[in-house]
Amino acid sequence: MFGSIFTAGLIVPRVGPPLKPDAPARHITDEAAITPAHGEELRVEPLVGDGESVAQGQPLLRVRAMPDMYLTAPMAGRVAKIDLRPGHRLSQLVLFHDAGGDRYSFDVSLAGQDVDELRRVLQMSGLWRMLRSRPFGRVPKPGAIPAAIFVMATDSRPDAPDPLLRLWSREEEFSRGLDALSRLTDAKIFLCQAEATSYTGAPPAGVSRILTGRTHPNGLSGLMIHRHMPARVDASVWDIHAEDVADIGAFLENGYVPATRVVSISGDALREAKRVECQPGADLRGLCQPILRPGPHAVLSGSSLDGRPAHWLSLRDRQVTVLKRDTTSKNRHWFNEALDHASRRAPIIPTAALDLAFGGVLPAAALVRVLASGDVEGFTRLGGLSLLEEDLALADYATGARPRLMTQVRAILDRIEEEEGVA
Amino acid sequence: MRRGMWDREMVAALLLMASMPMVLTWLWFGGVEAIGRLALTLIISGLWHMVFMLARAQPPSLAGALSAIAVAMLAPEDLGLIRLALGISFGTVAAELVFGGWGRNVLNPATVTIAFLGFGFPAEPWPEFVAPVIWAALPALGIGAMFGILSMRVIFAAFVALGIAYYGGDPAISVILPTAVLVLALLVTDPVAGASTSLGRWLYGGAYGGFVVLFAYEWEGAAPVQMAVSAAFLASLFAPIFDEAALALWVRRRRKRHG
Repeated sequence: MFGSIFTAGLIVPRVGPPLKPDAPARHITDEAAITPAHGEELRVEPLVGDGESVAQGQPLLRVRAMPDMYLTAPMAGRVAKIDLRPGHRLSQLVLFHDAGGDRYSFDVSLAGQDVDELRRVLQMSGLWRMLRSRPFGRVPKPGAIPAAIFVMATDSRPDAPDPLLRLWSREEEFSRGLDALSRLTDAKIFLCQAEATSYTGAPPAGVSRILTGRTHPNGLSGLMIHRHMPARVDASVWDIHAEDVADIGAFLENGYVPATRVVSISGDALREAKRVECQPGADLRGLCQPILRPGPHAVLSGSSLDGRPAHWLSLRDRQVTVLKRDTTSKNRHWFNEALDHASRRAPIIPTAALDLAFGGVLPAAALVRVLASGDVEGFTRLGGLSLLEEDLALADYATGARPRLMTQVRAILDRIEEEEGVA
Repeated sequence: MRRGMWDREMVAALLLMASMPMVLTWLWFGGVEAIGRLALTLIISGLWHMVFMLARAQPPSLAGALSAIAVAMLAPEDLGLIRLALGISFGTVAAELVFGGWGRNVLNPATVTIAFLGFGFPAEPWPEFVAPVIWAALPALGIGAMFGILSMRVIFAAFVALGIAYYGGDPAISVILPTAVLVLALLVTDPVAGASTSLGRWLYGGAYGGFVVLFAYEWEGAAPVQMAVSAAFLASLFAPIFDEAALALWVRRRRKRHG
């Protein structure tokens, strides 16, 4: 029945070689970039010029609309180029790595006592950008107050790196990060973790644990939020990855922005799949080049389900997927080709696969219908405001839907955002 | 980026495969006459799919074959070519193709066709089935449920409703029970025309069973197939209401919990 604790999901067939269990090796690519998240519009003021040397963690760009919000250097190096589109919209800021570079130190001495100061240093250091606010999936505004914060210590996407592996050695930092989050707002904090491997550290008071299922999509923050604390336009819900919480903890301890994150590289165009520790915004080609199989391929930032073709590792992504690209041109009959162009796409048939793609907790067929018809009211009624593209990726995969549900959900969210005047 | 397998044509193909035990048994015992009937329904429904493909760019679906099979098996006998063709044309076009093809329809085209023929030509005899065909409906339901293309909830609910009436102990129900199971496999479990929420599916299956029981007691002089098809037709008319009720209940429960 609806809302039960029974967690259902789908097992996605593996693409490519299995993930090696070795500890992730450090791999800093020669280039890295600061880019806006997908669909994000960032009007920025560059604080450095082309060719300047920068330290790791140094603020490089200031967000124009928000005085204290900065984007910081993912690694020490030299600024290669700053691409701005008209209206100071950031396209990318590319850096060349400098192995002997310095680390930028922030003054975090006051963040322990003062909440405003805590917010300010998080925004200065760029760590604030790891938070994601729903509905609409944007970086929260500087003064925003959430109804709840979900800390995701689990990730059920195929080949995703298990957050807990890294947390074992960082329990203290993680606890400090959780503590900082709980000081940040009065919001309830939920710590989501998978059943079998639980984080054993003692979370601070006011943090409730949620046990999630291990099968995809139960480890997605969207479903957890939908089930435990639905996001509304007037009550946004934030989510953040557990590793980023540990990063915040580490940052508040010593004032250095952590330099690496664990990223898994997998896919069928690779000779092996592995985890590495690389800088945020790493060059994806540089990351997967040593293990690439010859032949045409596509590099995605994200998992094989929700990944997007990209050059640089995207803001919150912890997965790189390299897939074979099919270049054989199909010799199709002209009539079928013409029919494909002229016809409306085949609808989705409500099967068990569709229900399980939403973990069995959502009325899937009804949701697909309101998405297809662009029914804003129905979408809101079904709790669609808690969802983002990644939450529909599995249904997209399972049903082979066209147009993709991910595109549809983004379109309807954008429309609601515009209507509500939140943007 | 990767695409899975549960698109419309795959579901239609699996449904067709699941119905095979039933269909092949029926053809085996029906002989040449059954093969001729099936060929006729396939051709007429195929022709209409062609027409809509050429005129409206609607790709034909394997599901058309599925409803052709159901019509061939369940429609009244001795109708003659013209009347049968008329009925199938009405059902295929008005219940499926004008809505945009399989998956966008509201009612099952086969149910509509058979109900149309039954109401239009009430004097014609309804088909009767030998025991092996009825038994073959069980593996058909099993295969469908295993692949997740038929809803387990609908099947369970219908069996529960029928089972209660059966063990309630009236001889009237034991006459209709076998046919009711066959119609359950052929018409009621259709994933598109049936309910699509979990509570809605329970209600939908239960409603089908309930209608069958009701007809068995109250409808004198009707053939088992006629009663079962009418029950399927009525239940599928109610399916959207069940879904709407289930959704309203779900939304209310969520509102209570989350404010």
